[in-house]
Amino acid sequence: MGNIMSASFAPECTPLKDTYDKCFNQWYSEKFLKGRSMENECAEQWQTYMECVETHLVKQGIKPALDDARKEAPFENEGKPLDK
Amino acid sequence: MKLFQNIYEFNYPWEEVTAANWKKYPNEVSTHVIATDVLRRELDASGKRLISERLITVKQSVPQWIMMLIGSTNISYVREVSVVDLETKTLNLRSCNLTYSNLLKVFENVTYSPHPEDPQNKTLFKQEAQITAYAPFTRVCNQLEDWSVQRYHENAEKGKRGFETVLLTLNKGWGQSEKYMDDIGNTIVEKVNETVDDLLGVDCSSSIMNKYSTTIRLAFQKE
Repeated sequence: MGNIMSASFAPECTPLKDTYDKCFNQWYSEKFLKGRSMENECAEQWQTYMECVETHLVKQGIKPALDDARKEAPFENEGKPLDK
Repeated sequence: MKLFQNIYEFNYPWEEVTAANWKKYPNEVSTHVIATDVLRRELDASGKRLISERLITVKQSVPQWIMMLIGSTNISYVREVSVVDLETKTLNLRSCNLTYSNLLKVFENVTYSPHPEDPQNKTLFKQEAQITAYAPFTRVCNQLEDWSVQRYHENAEKGKRGFETVLLTLNKGWGQSEKYMDDIGNTIVEKVNETVDDLLGVDCSSSIMNKYSTTIRLAFQKE
């Protein structure tokens, strides 16, 4: 069973996502769940991954639908639809 | 609008279930889910509440004619916002399809929490989905909604059995190194194709489109 690289919707971002995921999963299990973390770690990996994601959300035309969904059920509202 | 509800229990601690949640995709069998991306992730000031926004990318087999009809590709997207709360011990996931959302919207709400009767060892799973089909295909909406609810019922049982397998395998590796966990994660995903679809609600939108094509085709034939 080989190691599957965790894919991004944009192939260009996959290596960056893989690096971030590894960091996050370790942080989640070993720190967050145990109540040992006061900050969202992996900031450096996150930054480079996000720059790539943002670019390709626009390039691939996903951004408008995403913006609509965000308006309907904002992150700040924890994904709950505003009109319900 | 139609509503689907489901409750189930897993014989695994809540913490393990939440860690497994991040490792469902991608896998070699559930090939229609081709990617997952985190779009935004924030930890609140207490350090006990983690909010994540994810994009799930699905490749579906929808007939060419319907693609032309709705002017789209066979790639579709689902947005999910999840909250892990260590204080209340809940993992809540809210998902909605981004693609075809002008025709059909599936809002899925899933919550994992420690089982009231055995909070140390068991996790309660609650699933709720609101399925709404829109005009201009009003005539087929009711049929489509009914079918969607039925589909949820059909998948619920086998879905839960599959996730049991995931949890069993992850359970053996719990407390081991992250490397080991990753290897296990990659092995178990092979076995949970339909499970993860069901839990994330992704397969629902995909299957709805398959059904949709048939329904619309029938509607057109009646014209």
